[in-house]
Amino acid sequence: MKNILLLEDLPEIRAWLRKLVLQVFPTAQIAEGARVADALALVTAVKFDLALVDLGLPDGSGVDVVTKLRDVQPECQSVVVTIHDDDEHLFPALQAGAFGYILKEQPRELITEQLQRISQGEPPLSPSIARRVMAHFASTAKPRADATLINVSLTERESEVLLRVAKGYTLPEIGVQLGLSRHTIADYVKQIYRKLNVSSRAEAALEAQRLGLFGR
Amino acid sequence: MWLLRGLFLLLALAPPFAPPALAQPLITLVGEGLRAEGDGPHFPQDSRAQRVTLPDDWARSRPAAGSPVWYRVAFTLPAAPQALSAVQIARACASFELRLNGHLLHRSGRMTEPYTLDCDRPHLVSLPPALLRTGENVLDLRLVGYPLAAVAARSRAAALSPLAIGPLEPLQARQRLQATLQMRLPQALGATLLLTGGFMFVLGFLNRRESHLAYFGALSVGWALLDAQLWVQQWPLPHAAVELMLAALLPLLAWAAVQFLLRYAHWRHRAIDLALPLQALLMPSTLLAAGPQRLHGPVLAWSALLALEVAAAALFYLQRQWRERSPSFWLMGALLLVVAICGGVDLAAQFTHLPELAQALSRLALPLMLVLVGLRLVQQHSLARQQAEVSRTLLEQRVREAAAEIERNFRQLAELKVEQVTERERKRIAADLHDDLGAKLLTIVHTSESDRISTLAREALEEMRLSVRGLTGRAVRLADALGDWRAEVVSRLAQAGIETDWSAPEDLPQTLSARAYVQTTRILREATSNIIKHSGASLCAVHCQVRDGDFQLVVRDNGEGISSEPDGRLDRGHGMATMKQRAKQLQGQCLIESGPGFGTVIRLTLPLERALELP
Repeated sequence: MKNILLLEDLPEIRAWLRKLVLQVFPTAQIAEGARVADALALVTAVKFDLALVDLGLPDGSGVDVVTKLRDVQPECQSVVVTIHDDDEHLFPALQAGAFGYILKEQPRELITEQLQRISQGEPPLSPSIARRVMAHFASTAKPRADATLINVSLTERESEVLLRVAKGYTLPEIGVQLGLSRHTIADYVKQIYRKLNVSSRAEAALEAQRLGLFGR
Repeated sequence: MWLLRGLFLLLALAPPFAPPALAQPLITLVGEGLRAEGDGPHFPQDSRAQRVTLPDDWARSRPAAGSPVWYRVAFTLPAAPQALSAVQIARACASFELRLNGHLLHRSGRMTEPYTLDCDRPHLVSLPPALLRTGENVLDLRLVGYPLAAVAARSRAAALSPLAIGPLEPLQARQRLQATLQMRLPQALGATLLLTGGFMFVLGFLNRRESHLAYFGALSVGWALLDAQLWVQQWPLPHAAVELMLAALLPLLAWAAVQFLLRYAHWRHRAIDLALPLQALLMPSTLLAAGPQRLHGPVLAWSALLALEVAAAALFYLQRQWRERSPSFWLMGALLLVVAICGGVDLAAQFTHLPELAQALSRLALPLMLVLVGLRLVQQHSLARQQAEVSRTLLEQRVREAAAEIERNFRQLAELKVEQVTERERKRIAADLHDDLGAKLLTIVHTSESDRISTLAREALEEMRLSVRGLTGRAVRLADALGDWRAEVVSRLAQAGIETDWSAPEDLPQTLSARAYVQTTRILREATSNIIKHSGASLCAVHCQVRDGDFQLVVRDNGEGISSEPDGRLDRGHGMATMKQRAKQLQGQCLIESGPGFGTVIRLTLPLERALELP
């Protein structure tokens, strides 16, 4: 990890996060921002490997930054750092392309561990987020009239993992149940996040097209 | 009152027309006599007298002349009569003077112009026994009147009917019958027509959509006015003016009749609306042009024309009704047929001599038909009113229903609005809590030097989040709630190195209110914290089930248990009281069993229905 974007409006928390990030990635270059506008400017100027994005910012939502990052720097991993643990707030960010989330009030040890896991490709997935993802794919699974759009759907295994997460099983437990390694399960989760993003984009494009048709 | 009685008479007495007195053998009907022109006080004693048969209609016997005439009738009395004798005259038009054996007995009406046109009244004059002679007696009758040419209707032209002479009593019966037929019934009918006609005129006038009622009312009133001669015999006007007025009524009647029939058939035409009043003006002017002495001919011609117009209108009306398959076709058809027959009889009577009875009946039938049509119209009107009332009631009901519906919708809308506003407000409060309180707590969590304060702030933050969730959250499916709880409990315990044995049924369809979800989450979180911090357990078994409408959650650990203090309190800062309090708020209960060395068992029971009901 070389270049890391840190977007957080509270100075104390930003400083604390900075310390924490440097603990995990001692050699990293950290660019800090307190507002969406700062972040968007940084995103066009610097190439990042990891972005820690707060959602509730004074001049907007961190989701916009996540979207922008996904557009201009697809290889950058966006991680939402938030005080909101509910899917209502998190899901839009995940749809926009965030690769996981960290709850700010968690103890330092937990956060560093999660950060490490995410950077190693093991994003967290809570039951409520899993349910939202399932609902999203259930609604887009309906046959579409226009075949031009990429129809993204989950594999049977991915669905299986999601279902178990929704029921409250931890990822290691699911690994044991399905006879899969921890890495494989993590890959499934990564794949689910990726597909959620792709599918959401297709959905958004479809919506835009529909609105465009009407607007014409 | 007399009107009602008259109407009653009309209905009750009309059918039995067998004349009881006519067949009386005691009565002598004198049909022959002498007639002499003369204006003197006595029968002229010269040879100009000529034999006539009674009835003597001047229109036939002396069409041109209008001067007074003496009639002499002789009758013989074989012996002095035991009973009072009398003479009865069915019709003597217009005024007369009666002398018995030269003595003046009776005078009816004015003997100088304008004469009293009391033509329909029968007369009964008793013969004083003192003036009667055994053997031949002579009755002299001086008659004055107008020739046919000078009157509008033949019924007003001078004429004398046969004289009936005999005992008083049977003659009284005969008099009563004739008076009923010629006076009382027509009077009663006329009064009825005036009343109903007036009523209907007002009705039709007020209800412009039922203008036929107004025309019918006008027709009835006009007809009653035409019969005004029954009431008023002596007008304070010259005879010619009275005749002209009566004649002028005819086109007005025709106007009303034609318009009534057309409007009743729901048809109107501007030309007809205009032509009929014009005709009503034209007719009197032609009569004026013809002069008072040549009135009858033009009136007859006009009457024929008017009758034709009315007949055409009637046919038009009937044809319409027939085409519409209207049920009133037969009723109105029958009534109009009777009217037509009566009109025909009336018209025929102008040219030839018809039996008195037929004329009297036809004169009665016409107003009777009008009354019947009037009744029919009133019936239809009230039926229509009733229907209107019913439909109005229906409409009112529908309006009421619609209003209620609108009100209900409005209320729902208002409720929805309140809900939306509440929801928005909750979201705002939640956002504020997160942004302000959350941020501050978070700062404390990560900047505090003290672990204890960090932990407290973290717990406060968690509490705050849960509160917000309870504030804004929707009902949660029990299965989803179990998923959330499992993930949290298992991962937390796993981090602390404690094994978890979680058992819960699959596919729970029940839901929990946001509040119940939040409170249970807190209880479970507290229990988990206690196990991690205090129990020293290596294994925790969580068992969930739904039984008898209750949700049951049992958390059991194999730790040290909580040793009872000397004062018997189980709670030692472990939040047990808070857990119990929370369960109580949900109408449930939280039981905690513990003993040193036996671990701790927490049993939470929540009634699902009530947990649902709670906001």
